[in-house]
Amino acid sequence: MNKKIVKRGLIIIALGIVIGGGVFLYMFFQPHRNVQATKTDFQLEAKQIVDEYLKDAKTANNKYLQEEGNSKVIEVSGVVSEISEDFNKQKVVLLKGMGENAGVSCTFTSETNKNAAKLKIGDKVTIKGVIRSGAGYDEDMELYEDVIMEKCDVVKN
Amino acid sequence: MKKSILSLAIVIVAIITSAFSPTVGKLVSKTGHVNFFSHTAIEDITADNYKVVSTLETTTGELIYSIPMQSFEFEKSKMQQHFNSGKFLDTKQFPKSKFKGMITNLSDVNFDVDGTYKANVTGDLTIHGETKSLTENATITIASGVVTIDVVMDITLADYKIAFEKGKPSTNIAKTVKATIKTVYK
Repeated sequence: MNKKIVKRGLIIIALGIVIGGGVFLYMFFQPHRNVQATKTDFQLEAKQIVDEYLKDAKTANNKYLQEEGNSKVIEVSGVVSEISEDFNKQKVVLLKGMGENAGVSCTFTSETNKNAAKLKIGDKVTIKGVIRSGAGYDEDMELYEDVIMEKCDVVKN
Repeated sequence: MKKSILSLAIVIVAIITSAFSPTVGKLVSKTGHVNFFSHTAIEDITADNYKVVSTLETTTGELIYSIPMQSFEFEKSKMQQHFNSGKFLDTKQFPKSKFKGMITNLSDVNFDVDGTYKANVTGDLTIHGETKSLTENATITIASGVVTIDVVMDITLADYKIAFEKGKPSTNIAKTVKATIKTVYK
């Protein structure tokens, strides 16, 4: 009788350790969020989000940035004005209308670069990605900074 | 006579300087890399950011970096979340870090001649809403007219009100971290 209780107790403890350890390992090695597989929070035009930032950066940051860095997933539509490559060999597509001060800079990934490479200047596209920072005029640099999005892919061309 | 020679000399000097003064002025870099590195006996933590924007005024030596903080990527997602959280850099509140400085030995650097130059950079670094002055050595490389600047900044976290009193972060994150910045201007 007593032996049975001890045995059961030991099994429960062992199970506890395995489950606890599993949860810990899962949290420790938790993969990064897959932005493309994440539900889109906002759909808007490039000019819209740029204007929101130029009008009131604080309000826009509150709306689009998240505390732990997993900020809003956005689908931005606009005209391709520039295609370049960053230091990490990722394609960067700038969505910016003629005569606009700032645009939305979209950085692709090693999986999605091929889709950016198909775009041409002047194309009207919709790009999905995560916002990292907003647009604004920097008085020291004397230039407009673009909205920065990363982990991007083309959703409509 | 002496006066006219002097005025002639001044005119000549003025013509030469205006003819040879660089016309470029402010250079902009949107291709760069910032690496964050923390070393303790327990572990090394590193993160990379490729979204730095920088300007370099070659005539005055003014050098500015603007770094979007949420673009730092860590190997482990949990670490990235801690880095961004209110307990560490609070990147929702302070989305950008900025350095505004000057190259103090500008006369040692000739932006028109290819080569590698040692530069002294001094200025104000703002992280987490806190501003502290900083002086570092930088390397300026000019190759076929393209300017590259490399600088390593030693950042003492407590200076920017980033402090860990206890727990894992206080033992696993270095008190002084290194930010290695490379920017290419065009």
